Amino acid sequence: MMITALLLIVQVAAQDPRLERLDPATRSLVVSVVDSAKAVGLPGEPLIQRALEGATKGALGPRIVTAVRRLATDLGTARAALGAGVTTPELEAGAAALRAGAGPDVLTHLRDARRPPLTMALAVLADLVASGVPADSASAVVLALAPSARDADLVEFRRAVERDISLGAPPGAAAAVRAANTGIRLGADAGNPPRPASRQ
Amino acid sequence: MFDRDDGALDRVIRQLRQPVSIDPALDARVMEEIAADAAPGRLATPRPRFPLRGARWPWLAAAAVLGAILIARPWSAGGDTDALNAFQFVLVAPQASSVSLVGDFNDWDPARSPMQTAQGIWATTVPLPPGRYRYAFLVNGVEWRADPGAPRAGDDEFGTPSSVITVGGKGS
Repeated sequence: MMITALLLIVQVAAQDPRLERLDPATRSLVVSVVDSAKAVGLPGEPLIQRALEGATKGALGPRIVTAVRRLATDLGTARAALGAGVTTPELEAGAAALRAGAGPDVLTHLRDARRPPLTMALAVLADLVASGVPADSASAVVLALAPSARDADLVEFRRAVERDISLGAPPGAAAAVRAANTGIRLGADAGNPPRPASRQ
Repeated sequence: MFDRDDGALDRVIRQLRQPVSIDPALDARVMEEIAADAAPGRLATPRPRFPLRGARWPWLAAAAVLGAILIARPWSAGGDTDALNAFQFVLVAPQASSVSLVGDFNDWDPARSPMQTAQGIWATTVPLPPGRYRYAFLVNGVEWRADPGAPRAGDDEFGTPSSVITVGGKGS
């Protein structure tokens, strides 16, 4: 009895105090997901932040748990696609790209085509899709830019596409035209990424 | 785990609580020994000698210059790219009475990053290490707004808009 109580006290003490903003039932489930993620080498902090976002926004417990579980799954898929040596920011950006609609194979191609860190390339891919560019077009253009473009070039490309969209251009067409300006042709086979360059 | 023997535990506690007797002359003996070792001619470690007697100051000056160069590290003018960079967040909200910036970088705590206003333009600056962060503005404590000048988070899973900012790391 005493030992059980002691273990419970130790467990509560080991929990992240930030999670006290969640109700007890939700907190218990979120802690379980975070612990499971950590056990397989995934970062816990993004999961905690997602739970805190839900708590601050007043979401119901089941919705928070669903969001945290979904993110844990995406982080795991991203890690499998990007490899074990990937950093937490790269994992987070990879999970965002997956959530946006990019396939795991796109992440793997990107890893092979570009020197690390991949954070910005993955983030630009996710941002392009979030702004309405079809996932296959966004994947193709980011993979084509990846071997040689600097992070700043990728960000500028994204801004140019978003600017065109805000001026009324269809998202897919905006990405295609901007890609053409950099010498990249997006055709009917946009979903098939170009063969990546060898990793340097 | 193990069975506790309260009797044994009490005995150990009583032993530990026994007063310890210390020789009152101990301090005096220790100080005598130190004084004897420090007497002239009995220093165990010889004093270091400079290679050129009388040329001590040029060596010291050279060491100082080398130290200054190492501290300043002019060859890394860009600094550590993984260091914190300050980012300014701005929202135009003339009718708002309060605006907070909340996101992955402040545990989504509205109290951590209150924004300051000047004629309806709310702004705050936050240092961020490399990474990808979700964030939003909380207006008047009740209304969530995305950053109109930043990409939207694709998955607004909680029914309110969020934005994302990505901070590049090394090799950016």
